[in-house]
Amino acid sequence: MINVGGLTKRFGSKVAVDRLSFDIRPGVVTGFLGPNGSGKSTTMRCMLGLDRPEAGTALFDGKPYRDLQRPLHEVGALLDAGYVHPGRSARNHLRWLAASNGIARSRIDEVLEMVGLTTVAGARLRSYSLGMRQRLGLAGVLLGDPHTIILDEPANGLDPEGIRWIRDVLTYLARQGRTVLVSSHQLSEMALMAEDLVVIGQGRLIEQSTVSSFVDRYADHWVRVKSPTAEQFVGAVTAAGGEVSTIAANTHDIRGLDCVAVGEMAARQQLVLHELSAQTGSLEDAFLKATAGAQEYTSVQLASPTGDAQ
Amino acid sequence: MINLLRSEWIKLRTVRMNWVLAIIAIGFPLVVTLLTAFFEGDKDGFKSRDLVSTLTGTTVVSALLCGVIAAASITSEFGFGTIRPTFAATPKRMNVVLAKGLVVVMATMVLATAVVLIGWFVGSAIATERGTNMTLEPWPSAVPAMIGVIVLTGLMSLVGYGFGLITRSTPVAVAILIVWPLIAEGLVGALLGVVTGNDNIGRWMPFQAGIRMAIVESFGDGGPSRLQSGFYFGAVALALTAIGSWSVNRRDA
Repeated sequence: MINVGGLTKRFGSKVAVDRLSFDIRPGVVTGFLGPNGSGKSTTMRCMLGLDRPEAGTALFDGKPYRDLQRPLHEVGALLDAGYVHPGRSARNHLRWLAASNGIARSRIDEVLEMVGLTTVAGARLRSYSLGMRQRLGLAGVLLGDPHTIILDEPANGLDPEGIRWIRDVLTYLARQGRTVLVSSHQLSEMALMAEDLVVIGQGRLIEQSTVSSFVDRYADHWVRVKSPTAEQFVGAVTAAGGEVSTIAANTHDIRGLDCVAVGEMAARQQLVLHELSAQTGSLEDAFLKATAGAQEYTSVQLASPTGDAQ
Repeated sequence: MINLLRSEWIKLRTVRMNWVLAIIAIGFPLVVTLLTAFFEGDKDGFKSRDLVSTLTGTTVVSALLCGVIAAASITSEFGFGTIRPTFAATPKRMNVVLAKGLVVVMATMVLATAVVLIGWFVGSAIATERGTNMTLEPWPSAVPAMIGVIVLTGLMSLVGYGFGLITRSTPVAVAILIVWPLIAEGLVGALLGVVTGNDNIGRWMPFQAGIRMAIVESFGDGGPSRLQSGFYFGAVALALTAIGSWSVNRRDA
């Protein structure tokens, strides 16, 4: 269990994290989302005592991180896979880490095998790709078999197999009852992996909920209708307050009415329906909508080849 | 603390640059001292004191290299970002700072001890073979000078470590470590000498004073004695390390 309360961190006049509070429950993967510069990494660093917050607390099972005697046995954290000395081998990197917390050397071989780096464990880290460094970082996280896991963008640089692997690992670890907090910009992955979400923007909490209720709350909802005679009831739908957009021939999306209303309307007009389905926007749609007012950096809209803005 | 000392020792010995610098720090004084013993040992006027002077003089250069090793031991942590997993693994930062400092100072003092012992015993064996009487009895300051250069190496490492903690940058820490003793102190000492009218003031510059621990010549030249030099330079080294430790403990990692 992680409890963050009133965490505040300033860099000069800029407030990076602003009275941020949230709780992370064990047994599920919790996604930590926010636009670039929203304060996710700073929050994680503050939680681990690496950055000094101006105010607030972060407790791991009721204890501040600085009070943990052998932290690697309780909290495994990967903030950046690049935090390695390029001249050291993977095994030596894990050796100093393990030695600092009195972890047996045999555990190093176990975690290297878990992450699939056994055959390259003696190679210097400058020869490692980002994906390999991510795997090494995860090996470091698993060294002390901790009950709490904190990962900042763990899927960065991983190939599709690696992304699926990390998803499976984190889901497996959460099912064992561990507390897993993961930040990521890969929202499709997060949708597959996370049950809970903490969403922040400009250092403030925007939402803490389950993924499904977050999507329900923020994403678009509409009804898709496929019918060979759908044109006949477009007028009726519009008159009933629905907004119709044509997707393809015989396929329409209707907003403003639910499936029941559209289905009953079609029945009254004796229309043939090939599809009547409720549609919901993706986690990405919900995220963009939820954080629309909290983007630190926004891009200029690129012009289309015809000169229209996209 | 034992776990931390082990961890820091693994870090120190698993970086190739440290080995390269250590080999140079061992090799340079030994090669010069042993060659001196071989080529000068058969000449009239060559005394055991000359061999000790060569040995301690060249080991001062090794001490400077040890300072570089010590500085890089902490600045590379900041440079490569490994300080973050280090502090995440050991949240009590002062324990890390203490363990790292102990490891690097002890390692460099062991290195200097090996250089002095090998340099003296092998060098004197060669010189004796070449016909020189290598007794140290006429030179009571020879053994203190050899001990002094070992202490100097440890303190120089502590100074380098302190600069590393304060600057967090390898180029800056190494530049200070080289420019300060070799250039800045000479200029400042000369300037202060002109201003105060005291020519001896340069001998009280921190590094100049520290290096006096390793000299065989007699004292009484207006500068600090060997013991004073040790305490003075030791205080400077501890002050720098204390400032650096305070800074590391206070700032974001």
